[in-house]
Amino acid sequence: MERQLQDSSRKGPSLLQSTFRERAFNGIYEVVARQNHFYGINCKLSGSVYVVSEIEGAVPLVHGSCGCAFHHRLSPRKLFSPISDLACTEMDETDVIRGGEEKLRAGIIDVYQRYDPALIVILPTCVSGLIGDDIPGVIESLRSKISCDILHAPSEGFSHRDGDSVEVSLKNAAKSMKCSSAPPTAQDLRGCGHEEMMFALADQLMEEQDVIENSVNLEAFGRHTYRFWNDVEEMRRILGKIGVELNTTVPTTSVDAIKRAPSAPLNIVVTRNTRWADRMKERFGTDYVKKWYFYVGFDKVGKFFIEMASKLGLEGEAEDAIRRERKRALGDLSESRRLFKSYSFAISTQSFLFNPNLLSVYTEDLQMPLRWILIDSQPMKSMKISRDTVEMMTGNLIDIAEKQDMEIEILVDPSSEKMARVAKGVDWLLTDRTGPPSEKEGDLGMMNIATASNLIHQTGFCGIVEFGKHLAWKLQRRTKKDAQKDASNPHRKLIVSRFDYEEDCYPMIKDPMCSSSRRMWSEIWC
Amino acid sequence: MRMDGGKFFGAYRAFSGIRDAVVLNHVPVGCNWGAGMFRTISDQADVRQACTVMHEREIVFGGEESLRRALLRADELYDAPLFLVIAGDVPSIIGDDVAGIVDELSLEKEVLWTEAAGFSGSMRSGYEEALLRLAPLMSGCDTTEGSINLIGFCPDDFKVESDVKEIKRSMKRAGIEVNCVISNCSSEEFKKAPAAELNVVFGQGTDLAKLMKEEFGIPYTELDYPYGIEGTEKFIEYVSESLGTGWDADLEHEIEPFKKVYLYLHELCKTPVSIIGDFHAGPLAEFLAAELGFEVEHLSSSGSDLDRQRFEQEVRGSDTMMIFGSSFERDLARELEVPLVRFNYPVFDQVSIYDNAPYAGFGGAAFLTETIINAIMGLGDF
Repeated sequence: MERQLQDSSRKGPSLLQSTFRERAFNGIYEVVARQNHFYGINCKLSGSVYVVSEIEGAVPLVHGSCGCAFHHRLSPRKLFSPISDLACTEMDETDVIRGGEEKLRAGIIDVYQRYDPALIVILPTCVSGLIGDDIPGVIESLRSKISCDILHAPSEGFSHRDGDSVEVSLKNAAKSMKCSSAPPTAQDLRGCGHEEMMFALADQLMEEQDVIENSVNLEAFGRHTYRFWNDVEEMRRILGKIGVELNTTVPTTSVDAIKRAPSAPLNIVVTRNTRWADRMKERFGTDYVKKWYFYVGFDKVGKFFIEMASKLGLEGEAEDAIRRERKRALGDLSESRRLFKSYSFAISTQSFLFNPNLLSVYTEDLQMPLRWILIDSQPMKSMKISRDTVEMMTGNLIDIAEKQDMEIEILVDPSSEKMARVAKGVDWLLTDRTGPPSEKEGDLGMMNIATASNLIHQTGFCGIVEFGKHLAWKLQRRTKKDAQKDASNPHRKLIVSRFDYEEDCYPMIKDPMCSSSRRMWSEIWC
Repeated sequence: MRMDGGKFFGAYRAFSGIRDAVVLNHVPVGCNWGAGMFRTISDQADVRQACTVMHEREIVFGGEESLRRALLRADELYDAPLFLVIAGDVPSIIGDDVAGIVDELSLEKEVLWTEAAGFSGSMRSGYEEALLRLAPLMSGCDTTEGSINLIGFCPDDFKVESDVKEIKRSMKRAGIEVNCVISNCSSEEFKKAPAAELNVVFGQGTDLAKLMKEEFGIPYTELDYPYGIEGTEKFIEYVSESLGTGWDADLEHEIEPFKKVYLYLHELCKTPVSIIGDFHAGPLAEFLAAELGFEVEHLSSSGSDLDRQRFEQEVRGSDTMMIFGSSFERDLARELEVPLVRFNYPVFDQVSIYDNAPYAGFGGAAFLTETIINAIMGLGDF
């Protein structure tokens, strides 16, 4: 079994602890990257560098000027873990005039000698891309001299993604929700670097293998995050119950394991793009199944595993295993569900719009009597999502509620007065918003479930169980009166609530320079 | 490979130090993101930059129209007196006529620009050239006696606000005023920089100091960054002698805080440490060795990556018990299980928001010592 899977069997923090660790210790870095998306997007090269940094024994060689390498040591996806082993050809003016191929050749030999890597990944930049260096030619010329693997992935920063890519992606997903039998078409998110690098692995590194029956590869990354090992372990556990072996995770594994990925007959794809899996299908006949982000809740997760298993002819085994898993999960949740039934709830949410299936997790899996859903569409607005798409997504949520015959009132961007009335009308108002309540919301004694509710998105059953138990524990520990007392305490004045914020870009601080910078970006990036 | 941000980063750090100016990066999205990211980590509420978003279509058709459009829109959107354009790798290669575009537009704001292709020079060269590009803002003005300019700062230097405040405090005791801090000042302050009697250069900005000598007759001197009691004393002595202000050093008060931890200071004497950084590294090493009595095993202050690799190898093979550097040294410190004191750009895993906690000047000597002791005693805290 692969090294990371051995690692995953170690006894570490629980899933819940890992989730809180992720928020506290990595989230503090990620918030800056998130906020900076109001003013720009990161380079395509950062996505490629990130993927290489996930591969054990691989060293990225940036073919460009030293500034590119300096900057990309700090990848926006892992600001908490700068990349140390990153090399650069340090192109200068002479290389721009005469070409950088000789420097690249020398750079590859230098990296090979200095790092003793299992894989060198050449990542071109704007400069080498513009002058047209023949990177495949240089690699070929060194094959006999370098015993490690070498590949290249297009990473030129000027071919970044378009400004409407998020809108197109969300509209695509929203449309498909209307028709559950037609999942959204995979989207080519050209220019993010991640996809290009994944394609390069399938295209240039993987090798023909004898197929190991009933095994799968899982697209998974984030070796430096706290949740990674828990999530892989849960997936492996359920696959094991079905009789399927996890061959490897891609790209987070060793170079050898990636080479051997074609020994699995099936890939589980989790990102928006399927180009790498399509390429594996072309080259090795490896089939794939897409695990869409909106497959949440016992029902949808179960369907996913059954769909996956049917590709291996193990549908019956999967149905049995899922039935047992579900039964066990419901058993584990029985006390919590009993408790939830004794209260009434409202949820102030930003995430239900992105994924209306979350509603069924609360109402069906957790049996929570939900009276109101208060939709905050501000994140959509800040991402320039069109009104049409937002309305389509809201409609999807209403459809799900109607289909399930729920008596839930759904309010989009309610006024603060309305929110206060809702808060009074239920036992508990929950919120999945990260951070403190906005000025508009006020502090209504809401119970914040932002961090813990991330557990719901795990592809498995444990996440929802842990979330349910955690929520029950919180409800028992704290009365609504306590929360309201805190909210009405005149001495309780959060420092962050002393600042003014942009209404449509919370939590962007209200400042004329910041505001103009954001508008510039929003108008120019198209 | 050099551990150097390259010319673009240098220019960006110089330009963004003009606190009321807007920096317009004529680059693809990634360069704009990277420079901004390193800066916003230390000041999240100060974002005044934009990008012309050079894309494949600009490669084919040229980026001049994008620059023109961005300048016109920025002129409408920003309430700022000055736009500073940085042309990066791509416009340099495809040959955009940045000067032509800047000249042809009649904007309400003043526009200056610099060429800063990453491949055409180091971070230091980008900083030097960008400051020279700002020089036309300066105008002759009456000299303020007993005043100096401090040159060599960047707005994203770790502890910059605290250090400047403390250096100003220390100078004031010698009757010296700081006229302008370059580059961490307003455009008005920059314009009036020629009012100073002397330019003091810390590590970078020498070209601007030379130019000011030629244009305005202001002498300049290159001094070590003032770390430690001794380092600060030397610095004040030199400047006060140059200006003829005179200074009676009374350091009793500055020594006082150290008494509270004198036993620790005894114990830490001869502790082996290693230091890596830019022009700040040498003066810091001097303080650690000469005043705290540490054994400086390895010092790397060139910024070259070969030196950096050698530094890492040497530190691994040494008895180093503490590393002084940037956030990029975190992995090495963790590997060796020794404390890391961050003092050098870039610092992206610690913040410095209180401006009375310097590392420079007399007060800085005490606060830096406090940081060192706490880092040692806190090793292994989880």
